[in-house]
Amino acid sequence: MFSKVLIANRGEIALRINRACQGLGVRTVAIYSQADKDSLHVRQADEAYCVGPGPVPRSYLDIANIVSTALAARCEAVHPGYGFLAENARFAEICADHGLVFIGPKPAVIAAMGDKATAKRVMKEAGVATTPGSGILDSPREARDAAKRIGYPVMLKATAGGGGKGMRVVERAEYLERAYASATAEAEASFKDGRVYMEKLILHPRHIEVQVLGDGSGTIVHLGERDCSLQKPSHQKLIEEAPAPNLSTKQRNALHEMAVRACRHVGYTNAGTLEFLVSGDHVYFMEMNTRIQVEHPVTEMVYGIDLVREQIRIAAGERLGYAQGDLRARGSAIECRINAEDPRSGFAPEAGTISRVVFPGGPGIRVDTHIYDGALVPPYYDSLLAKVVAFGETRDEAIARMERALRETVVEGVHTTLEACLELLATREFREGKYDVGSLPSLLATAARG
Amino acid sequence: MIPEEPAGIAERVARLAEFLIANDLESVRIEREHETFEVGRAAAEAAVAMPETKAPPQSVQSRVEQIAADRVGIFHLGRPAPYEGERLEGERELGYVEQLGIRNPVRSRGAGRIVAILQRDGDMVDYGRPLFELDRG
Repeated sequence: MFSKVLIANRGEIALRINRACQGLGVRTVAIYSQADKDSLHVRQADEAYCVGPGPVPRSYLDIANIVSTALAARCEAVHPGYGFLAENARFAEICADHGLVFIGPKPAVIAAMGDKATAKRVMKEAGVATTPGSGILDSPREARDAAKRIGYPVMLKATAGGGGKGMRVVERAEYLERAYASATAEAEASFKDGRVYMEKLILHPRHIEVQVLGDGSGTIVHLGERDCSLQKPSHQKLIEEAPAPNLSTKQRNALHEMAVRACRHVGYTNAGTLEFLVSGDHVYFMEMNTRIQVEHPVTEMVYGIDLVREQIRIAAGERLGYAQGDLRARGSAIECRINAEDPRSGFAPEAGTISRVVFPGGPGIRVDTHIYDGALVPPYYDSLLAKVVAFGETRDEAIARMERALRETVVEGVHTTLEACLELLATREFREGKYDVGSLPSLLATAARG
Repeated sequence: MIPEEPAGIAERVARLAEFLIANDLESVRIEREHETFEVGRAAAEAAVAMPETKAPPQSVQSRVEQIAADRVGIFHLGRPAPYEGERLEGERELGYVEQLGIRNPVRSRGAGRIVAILQRDGDMVDYGRPLFELDRG
């Protein structure tokens, strides 16, 4: 096992990784921007070093400063978390070039899977169903030609993307040029990679993803699926659950089998997630995230496995020590994201100071957060403040526990998504598990009308 | 246009920082008969990002300026090694931060007297770590 790991991230995931390291007896090095100097992850790590000013390109994306910190602090490995450099193959390569273990898959696999257009081609080779789409689009003209071939409505997606950044739905040809310009600009700003590709927009699909783990010695397992269909108009997820409700055994097994087959095809190691669009009886591969996901706790709750711990063990060369037949899902888990956003203003992110915070407890409740009374919410970063996770032996019990947990929760100082989550949980559509990726705005509007 | 002069030093630095960021400048230096102010981009962003940070106690007369690391790495003193009390006649490389085999020079950014050398040769330094104090008098 490693003796010291650098955590190349901030916020709740930095704390999450710190806890996993400490559970394994691994010392931790935090990095932070000047805007994050008072953050909890800085205080809880064994060592902490500033890598730049608040803006992301000059701190959490500054590869030279981060790798230099890892080397000077004598770390053996780097955990990238999610976002920032987590799916940057060049960063993984530079880590390897300097003798640092990147806690994730091999750089070539990150490059193949992280590049969404290449990933689709590889998945087709593995016999996995994919949505009709294009390769990388180098100009608005190429985008126009692709859209004509695929047929509107289409979706532009950042090839290096995730978290809804660099994604645009285009319903008609006259909107394409502007959407292309804004998607490439947003992708460039978010990932230092402005390339985009196009997919047919599947109407009313569910977003269902499968968690996988591969240990590099031939064992690849899935840890079931998550339903992440309740997404904001920006395609960022708000409520996730495991297992996905209202999925036939045949569909569930097909998803799991495709995910494992795809991972075997690319020789996948470490934790990853394959995202699918499910529409009626059709299942389409959408993309693969070669990192830990924000919503990983719901899988941990139903499988009883610490995914971040497994990531670190695998990167250190350990074997999983179990096979697919040893894994059993139990019960149901739901995650609600409490973001510093105003749902009444299109989920506009907010910065400020948390004046008061109270988090819930009790049976089946888990809270992953980095905020505290007086914590600053800087304007530079993702607006996620806390993930409230509820487990129940049944889905109904998980929902009841989540509602109680959210009513116990207090976050003052900024607007949050807390009330919106409560409203969504109370809708008939959520109760019956009948929602898709386009449902959220209408469900909130219905709730507002009472 | 440079903003009108506010009363206190902390306020003056804060206004200069806002001016620098708004105009996308790397640094702003104001020289007058009895005083010199220089605000660099890193310090300005820190000041704007963390408005609660108090400016260091500093009199207008002292004109002491800190030079901080703008890269993370291993700090080395220049050759010949600078020393406390040394008077610098002009621009000089006082040391460098070695990062992934690349030397990132730390310059005096003009004349002055070295008041303090705050890191030892071979120390690891992170972003914003003070390296030298210079009196610009």
